[in-house]
Amino acid sequence: MIPYATTIRNGCAVATRFITNTPTNKMSTIEDLKTAVINGKRKNVKVIVPELLESGLTPSALLEEALIPAMAIVGEKFKNNEVFVPEMLVSARAMKEAMKVIEPELIAAGIKPKYTALIGTVEGDLHDIGKNLVATMWKGSGFNVVDLGVNVPADKFIEAIEEHQPHIIGLSALLTTTMPAMKEIIAAVRAAGHSDVKILVGGAPITQSYADEIGADGYSRDAASAVDAAKSVLAAA
Amino acid sequence: MTSKECVLQSLNHQQPDKLPMDFGSSFITGVHCSVVAELRQHYGLEPRPVKICEPYQMLGEVEADLLDAMGLDVQPIFPQRTIFGFPNENWKPYTTPWGQEVMVSEHFKTTLDDKGNTYIYPQGDMDAPASGHMPKTGYFFDTIERIDPDFDEDELKVEDNLEEFGLMSAEEENYWKEQAEIYRGCDRAISMHLNGTCLGDIALVPAPFLKNPKGVRGVADWYMAVADEPEFAKKLFDRQAEIALDNMAKLHRIAGDVIDIVVVCGTDFGTQESTFCSNDTMRDIWLPRYKKINDWIHENTKWKTFKHSCGAIEPLLQTVIDSGFDIINPVQCSAKGMDPKLLKEKYGDRLTFWGGGVNTQQTLPFGTPEEVRKEVLERCEIFAPGGGFIFNAIHNVQALTPINNMIAMIDAVKEYNGN
Repeated sequence: MIPYATTIRNGCAVATRFITNTPTNKMSTIEDLKTAVINGKRKNVKVIVPELLESGLTPSALLEEALIPAMAIVGEKFKNNEVFVPEMLVSARAMKEAMKVIEPELIAAGIKPKYTALIGTVEGDLHDIGKNLVATMWKGSGFNVVDLGVNVPADKFIEAIEEHQPHIIGLSALLTTTMPAMKEIIAAVRAAGHSDVKILVGGAPITQSYADEIGADGYSRDAASAVDAAKSVLAAA
Repeated sequence: MTSKECVLQSLNHQQPDKLPMDFGSSFITGVHCSVVAELRQHYGLEPRPVKICEPYQMLGEVEADLLDAMGLDVQPIFPQRTIFGFPNENWKPYTTPWGQEVMVSEHFKTTLDDKGNTYIYPQGDMDAPASGHMPKTGYFFDTIERIDPDFDEDELKVEDNLEEFGLMSAEEENYWKEQAEIYRGCDRAISMHLNGTCLGDIALVPAPFLKNPKGVRGVADWYMAVADEPEFAKKLFDRQAEIALDNMAKLHRIAGDVIDIVVVCGTDFGTQESTFCSNDTMRDIWLPRYKKINDWIHENTKWKTFKHSCGAIEPLLQTVIDSGFDIINPVQCSAKGMDPKLLKEKYGDRLTFWGGGVNTQQTLPFGTPEEVRKEVLERCEIFAPGGGFIFNAIHNVQALTPINNMIAMIDAVKEYNGN
């Protein structure tokens, strides 16, 4: 019996044991979890995560050795046009499936992420795919991410800063008509005395020069680059 | 040469007497109602509230007097029903959240929440869940994702996503008969949106026109469903194409001689930086279904086929051509790889560029009138020679666009045309 059928998707060999339900005695490995996340196989993740935890691996190990590297690979593939937004979404969904189990265990064990991030689409704007992908990529690089949703006014950001004490804030806007809201939010956050928190901006019409003009600390042109951009402004802090 | 002749000449890749220009002939080449009002005032036209021809994006109708004043060459025939599923009829006054007096359909029914957000209802039925949401400080609606509680992403059913694709109703047939009578003999080119030929348009997936949609109706869910289950998308698009062919045959019998341009599909294949899928995926899932629709059109009508896709789609343009499209819009030159010169050189003899006239993310809303003029003239110099270019901005002109920039754009096209 062949324990693993292999198929090729996006240039990667993928174990399809869980999809095909081929019986096997082979235990899942960290590598299987990584592969399942890269290929967006949510159902496989659902099977693999409890198996790995049962085998004695810690939730931290799953996060550090499978989820974070997997999302980094997805980000790289996205930057290289090997995968696109839909594939990123399915990988993000697979990662979230794993986090549903892992996150409560991490919290119970008192393990705190190094960085906390707030993210939201600015007031007047309801678009959230880009914002959600950035949130997932940040989560996938080990950040604690508090997502404030869409149409978020300045006072909500300020309240959330006071509650969560984030290291970084992500502001998203898709529309030319809502770009000015970014400027207002940055000014309001600074005026409220939060001068240490780093602010990153992004969205289709946003450019580096606009980010500079409105006093943002950083800018990212896409979700994959948002991880590098966040790490870069945080390292400079 | 009439406006219509100029447009047709350009669509046939021949040099027209003047560069044709469009604003308002479709829901992706339109103008926000606030800007339409300012244009009417600028040109000294009869002061009257602007009609909302497309309530989702709050586009204002560019009526005949404004078409004349701006020197526009394309006349729309709007669909019988709006994206919220109601006909535009029995106009009534409405004050927008930004305080503009406009006219809307009697079926344009809205409520306000305590935060000042506006909600609109499918088919004007306030007993159904709202299907559109305009934030207090917004200028148009976005769709509300109404997910059927029984929806199971592991059990996708094509029928659930087919509810909106039916055969043309008697009501719609009559509408087209009336419209054909009104516009037969019009000296502007006639453009219209085909019904049911948008294959996976993300604005339509949430079905803001349906009262209780079933199936895959979330935006992210849709992208994931197509990535996970390409066979589902193929089956759905096959069924859509079959239904569309019947409807197109009927439309052709009623109004075929009146129509010049049909907007076939508005599905976006690009983001600012990249495509939404690989070329192989587009050729596998979309191309055969597009080809079926476009081949029928080319074999049976004189209509030119119009494809809209925002974003960095240069790597997909050969596939757009192979799918049987004559026209690409909005030609988002601000996206990665969408260099105007490269596009014209590589595809200009086979594709008409309908758009690309000015950057609506930077220059038009935020530049000076002189910067707008300079960019418009540059784009005209690149795209216009030999035809295959209809001047339009890149996608709809958005709210808050300065009127002086708008006028600078129109005047630059007139300057290019030697007026």
